[in-house]
Amino acid sequence: MKLKVRLLCIGIFLSSLLFRVNAQNNIVVTGKVTNKTSGLALEGVSVVNEKTHKSTQTNESGSFTISVEKGATLTFSYVGMSPYKYKVNAAEVIAIQMDEEIKKNDEVIVVGYGTQKVTKVSGAISTVKSADIEKLKPVRAEDALQGRAAGVNVISSGSPGGKPTVFVRGIPSYKGSDPLVVVDGAVETLDDLNSINSADIESINVLKDAATTAIYGVKGGNGVILVTTKSGRKNKKAEFNYSSNYGIQEVARKLPVLNATEYAAIVNEGRLVDGNSIAFTDLSKLGVGTNWQNQIFKSSPMQSHSITARGGAENIAYFVSGAYTGQDGIVGGGDKSYFNRYNATSNLSIDLTSKLKLLSNISFVNIRGASVPENAINSVISNAINFDPTAPIYNNVPGTVGDFSVSKNIISEIVNPLTQLANVFNKSNTNKLYGKIELQYNLLKNLKITSRYGFTNVDISNKSFSPLIYYGSNHTSSTLKADGTSNGTGHNAVSYDKDTYYNYTLETFGNYTFKVAKEHSFDVLVGISAAKNTGNVVSASRQDVPNNSWNWADFTAATGNASNGGVGGGEYRFEKRNISYFSRVNYDYQEKYLASFSLRRDGSYEFGANNKFGTFYAGSLGWLVSSESFYKFKAIDYLKIRGSYGVTGNDNIDHPQYLQIYTGIYEYGKGNNTGYVFNGSPVNGSTLSTFANPDLKWEQQKQFNFGFDARLIKNRLSLTVDYFERNISGLLFTPQLSMYLGTSAAPFANVGTTQTKGLDLSVGYTQPISKHLKLSSNVTFTTAKNLVTETSSGYIQGGTYGIPTSYSVTRYEKGRAPGYFYGYKAIGIFQTQEEIAKNPTQSNAQPGDIRFADINGDGKISDSDRTMIGNPFPKFTIGWNISLEYKSFDFNVYIYASSGNDIYRAYERNLAFTNKYRGILSRWTGAGTTNDPKSPRVTFADPNINTRASDRYIEDGSFIKIKDIQLGYTVPATLYKSKIFNKIRLYMQVKNALVLTKYSGLDPEIAGGIFDTGVDRGNYPQARIYSMGIDCKF
Amino acid sequence: MKNIKLIGVAFLILLTISCSKFVNYSAQEDYIVTTADYFKTASDYQSLLVGCYTPLQWLWSDPMIGDIASDNAMCGGESATDNVGMQQIHNFQIVPNNSVLAESWTDCFEGINRVNYLHQNKALLNFTGKDALYGEAYFLRGYYYFELVRLFGDVPLFTDHKLTVGESKTLKRSSKSLVYKQIETDLTTAISNLPKVQTDKGRATLYSAQALLGKVYLYENKFDSAAAVLERVINSNAFTLTTNLADVFLKVNQNGAESLFEVQYTNLDNQHDYGTQNFQRSQGNMMVQYCGIRKIAGNGIPYAGGGYSFDLPTKDLQSQFSSSDTRRDAAILDVAAYAAANQGFGISYSDAPYQNTGLYNQKYQPRLGETSSAGVSQLNYLNNYRVIRYADVLLMAAEANNRASTPNDSKAQSYLNLVRKRAYGNDSHASSATGVSLKQVIWDERRLELAMEGDRFFDLVRTGQAASKIPNFKVGRNEVFPIPQQEIDISGLSQNPGY
Repeated sequence: MKLKVRLLCIGIFLSSLLFRVNAQNNIVVTGKVTNKTSGLALEGVSVVNEKTHKSTQTNESGSFTISVEKGATLTFSYVGMSPYKYKVNAAEVIAIQMDEEIKKNDEVIVVGYGTQKVTKVSGAISTVKSADIEKLKPVRAEDALQGRAAGVNVISSGSPGGKPTVFVRGIPSYKGSDPLVVVDGAVETLDDLNSINSADIESINVLKDAATTAIYGVKGGNGVILVTTKSGRKNKKAEFNYSSNYGIQEVARKLPVLNATEYAAIVNEGRLVDGNSIAFTDLSKLGVGTNWQNQIFKSSPMQSHSITARGGAENIAYFVSGAYTGQDGIVGGGDKSYFNRYNATSNLSIDLTSKLKLLSNISFVNIRGASVPENAINSVISNAINFDPTAPIYNNVPGTVGDFSVSKNIISEIVNPLTQLANVFNKSNTNKLYGKIELQYNLLKNLKITSRYGFTNVDISNKSFSPLIYYGSNHTSSTLKADGTSNGTGHNAVSYDKDTYYNYTLETFGNYTFKVAKEHSFDVLVGISAAKNTGNVVSASRQDVPNNSWNWADFTAATGNASNGGVGGGEYRFEKRNISYFSRVNYDYQEKYLASFSLRRDGSYEFGANNKFGTFYAGSLGWLVSSESFYKFKAIDYLKIRGSYGVTGNDNIDHPQYLQIYTGIYEYGKGNNTGYVFNGSPVNGSTLSTFANPDLKWEQQKQFNFGFDARLIKNRLSLTVDYFERNISGLLFTPQLSMYLGTSAAPFANVGTTQTKGLDLSVGYTQPISKHLKLSSNVTFTTAKNLVTETSSGYIQGGTYGIPTSYSVTRYEKGRAPGYFYGYKAIGIFQTQEEIAKNPTQSNAQPGDIRFADINGDGKISDSDRTMIGNPFPKFTIGWNISLEYKSFDFNVYIYASSGNDIYRAYERNLAFTNKYRGILSRWTGAGTTNDPKSPRVTFADPNINTRASDRYIEDGSFIKIKDIQLGYTVPATLYKSKIFNKIRLYMQVKNALVLTKYSGLDPEIAGGIFDTGVDRGNYPQARIYSMGIDCKF
Repeated sequence: MKNIKLIGVAFLILLTISCSKFVNYSAQEDYIVTTADYFKTASDYQSLLVGCYTPLQWLWSDPMIGDIASDNAMCGGESATDNVGMQQIHNFQIVPNNSVLAESWTDCFEGINRVNYLHQNKALLNFTGKDALYGEAYFLRGYYYFELVRLFGDVPLFTDHKLTVGESKTLKRSSKSLVYKQIETDLTTAISNLPKVQTDKGRATLYSAQALLGKVYLYENKFDSAAAVLERVINSNAFTLTTNLADVFLKVNQNGAESLFEVQYTNLDNQHDYGTQNFQRSQGNMMVQYCGIRKIAGNGIPYAGGGYSFDLPTKDLQSQFSSSDTRRDAAILDVAAYAAANQGFGISYSDAPYQNTGLYNQKYQPRLGETSSAGVSQLNYLNNYRVIRYADVLLMAAEANNRASTPNDSKAQSYLNLVRKRAYGNDSHASSATGVSLKQVIWDERRLELAMEGDRFFDLVRTGQAASKIPNFKVGRNEVFPIPQQEIDISGLSQNPGY
């Protein structure tokens, strides 16, 4: 072996000498390179002598000169053009016409357990490429999917690093709707996308239909997001990329609330209506007072820096990167909330032998964060909206603690948001190591065996301190007296928790490709996968931190005693195990007729004993119409029709079931106690307290997809359209059991069903307008209609909020869209007593109160008149990207629109002294003043309960957002003549530049899964970000 | 090369073999005790047996049904819509979705399932006292089925094992006679295994089972058998009548000399799970709370305030007692008379807002200090429910002898007169009636002796007097209550006639 290598080396050395000798016979070739289609000259085409690697580039007029040996082959390459080869026979002037690259025909796309030529794909996949991701530089990778991947709904979160709500093709289930995330073949979760450095991403593919997801079986039902990170390139010099971005974030909109004078007037009016005396006797001195939103929102920085290097040698290819992303919160600023991430990634590919390859993709991430109370009643924003505008900003009462004022009037629930912010103390530290180790072995020429260990190890430690706080002497939330000593109603406390998660997937599979009779191509995959997820949470807390201070917030320094509940702790762990067998056959005939069939058998730890394994499958067919010899239709250059059908699953069972023997007296809340009394004293007893459902299994999703891909106008316009129908069955509900089974807890059973129909559409267009100006644009359109078709037992509700009583406003119920808004329909205002008498009985109504609709027509307004009053999910969303390139400038606008999503204003508290949304100014003040059901009279006693959950609080949340505007300038190489840099691009960027919406609140985009999306309890808005940055290659 | 292939193949095979194991689950992983970890020691069985007693406590409504559905008591409460289920039972406008009846239905079946669970695991371990333990279990199953059969008539009958989810919606109702047959079997088995005395007061004894079986025989009109088994109780001389009937219902006399079986309650458990899914299945006797006088207060009174004023004795019941009968005041608290007689106490109270008679169930009146201070007071009254006491045994034996195939009226008189002697404090009210008139005397005596103890309605139905005594009672319909509608909807059971 060694000898062979040496001989080879000597051979190479000798032959290189030979070339040197030959090189003496140089000839000079000149020429001009043009675009064959447009006829325009191409600048910057690289012209390479294949043998000697000597190279040059074309100038502005497309001309070049190179000296080569006779018989040499020149390769012309240019981005977007098909490479062109020319054999030099003599010194000559040549004219090269380069073809625009027949786009995507040779492109390969990553699919489950392999890759596939794009033209051969007969399933539905949405792709976002690195170019888009690099430009956007999202903190979380999902943000790159919003509007760019048709069929994917992303509702972004405003808080730093916050997890968005992501649905692939509608809302399948009332729980566990996150798509599966697979990073370089290693299985992860949507939560893990908070830790990927966007500069590492090569592409994100979203597998949407059953044909592409069935290979992931029971995990694939909600769609699959395949993230592929960058890899090295063999025999290439190191290529470095450095990019840096710095920006300032600010709040884009504020909620219009009453100023101090208006507030006082409304409070007075309400008090008079309720029969109380007025609270503010002199309005003239109040002025505008304090707008607390102006106080809590801060301009805060955001930055990201990353450096990557890729390259390789004979047997090794590498991609390494390091990155830092820092985002401070706009609520309270970086002191109180931030998301700082440090990434290090190493992707190596090593040829151990000619047949055995080792891939090692390892990333380490450290995330440090802090947060303020958000997206909830009594969060900082909610307090800022509701707090007393007549209170000054700062504490001006001598001898009282705290930097900020207290309200004379508000004495419960609502607190000064600045005092709240000043008393928020927490920090979290996450260390995460994830990646894969993979061996690929070419057993035969066409048979590759891959064995892979994908893993994620996460350690999170959180610490928080809740101090004693003074919100005012009479405020019920105060735990301090005005002088700063404890008022005896509470303790301060320091709390910790440590969470450890460890997940691995061990997979072995073989890919075998072969042809039968030249025209029948087969690509066969067979594999097995074992996965285990474990988690462990340990928590501890202790009261009575010395000096009521974060500086002393420590478990050992605190003095609380276990005997009086001053020390707490807990432990929780879970485990999940899956085993799967899978296979797929891809077939094509002359690359014209496509077929694919995949099959997966999944076993899960969570399933009942009778259903340990489930089988999932899908098949698809495709026809490349434009490849037919009879196809003469010139207008359409490329046309593929495809259809698929298959069955996938969703294993969102929380826990395996068991037959538990409960021992004790009293199982709280179960109504299934076991104690009895002998000799006058309680004694423990036992019973079999649960039923297990041995038939428990996965949710089953049957999906049909029909679509086509077309390219028109000389491949400049590309179009992909997919229509789908999903029928989901086996949603988990508690079934109604015969009463003679007794009182043991009924187990979950697979009874619910849901139906979703929708359309995904994406259009791309590229047009060189002139020599220097190039336009390209992409539009995606996503729509899905969801209907819950069975729940067996009632409904599931969520979206709780309180004004001041607690209501639940979202439901998952048979015959309705999932997560729809549920409440009364407000249809007008009672103008007179006669009108009240005339209408269906509404107890306690007075003129000026809201008239609610008698939906069931029983002549009275009661709970059974509640109905559907809105839907928080959009009817459709559109993403529109426009790029212009002019000489060295590039300009990019990205617009995202969401239509038909309703918002429920849940932030408003109708307490006597809370501030109000300005809409109250158009209130009813007497017969004939208004009949707008959103504007009842002011009353805090509210005998009619105008504040009940009703469409009074619903607003249309449709919006058009200019999510990204970017202007870039690529510094021409001629300007810096540097040998070091290959490319320098400077740019300016504005994110969330403009929001067009009728919604009155801070941001119409409100993430929150199925039950909290669109419920605005004081939603953390997405910041507008002005930034500039630099990208360079060297 | 070859090695690698072999290793690869071997790896795949190994992985495949270990698969099903990999996804199996044992609850022990989560430190949950399951069937697999159980039935290892005698204490496992003993603990399950305690669980079989538990549903007795949840049946606190049943004694109220027995009087409210009869001529003994009004329903009461705050208004016509306060505890609608109970109101419907009183005015015989019973609808099948009656929550009170649904609760009794569910509770009895839970008890039966719990006993069945013990039964199905009987063979797994042998230990000392096992037979007696199962004696208690079968006694309880007999008790639950008796409760069901007299409330609902034909009911699903299953004795083999605790029902599984798969058996939901599969059962049909079995005929009353089959259910009675099973009750007899269970109680007979219990009798042959139970001890005469239990160290733990509150457990079923041999005599509890004999007395209950005697009662069951009476309901079946098997008077010879009833007389035989009841006389075994009497002849054991294990029981005596307490001098004052009123004292029987005091805390000090719980499980006392006259007691054959009581449902045990305590105020020591401090329960506070009030209203969770409307379950009131605590370790306290909620019936006592229901029977209480609203807002009664006064210095030195034994009664606790805050009652719900249900189960109000009728004037008719009050008028049945002769003035020298001590049982009147033992059963009925005439609150106005009581306040007038005890001026010094400064008694105040609110009249019952609905169906007020001014009378209250004295036997189950809430008393001060008898509920817990730490838990919810309404849920924690310690008053045991006296299921069968010796006076009942004597009256049942009297009836059985009077109605036996060979009547023995002198025996019947002697038992009846024992009860009367205690009631009047002397023999001057001894009865010398015979035959049919003695039968009526005994039946009437039962109303007086057992007033407000939950037996009247069932006695009236059993003896065929219901239609003549209860207004609105429809023959052929109201002998039993309707099967809960929810159960009919879910399980497709047939409904009782007339509902």
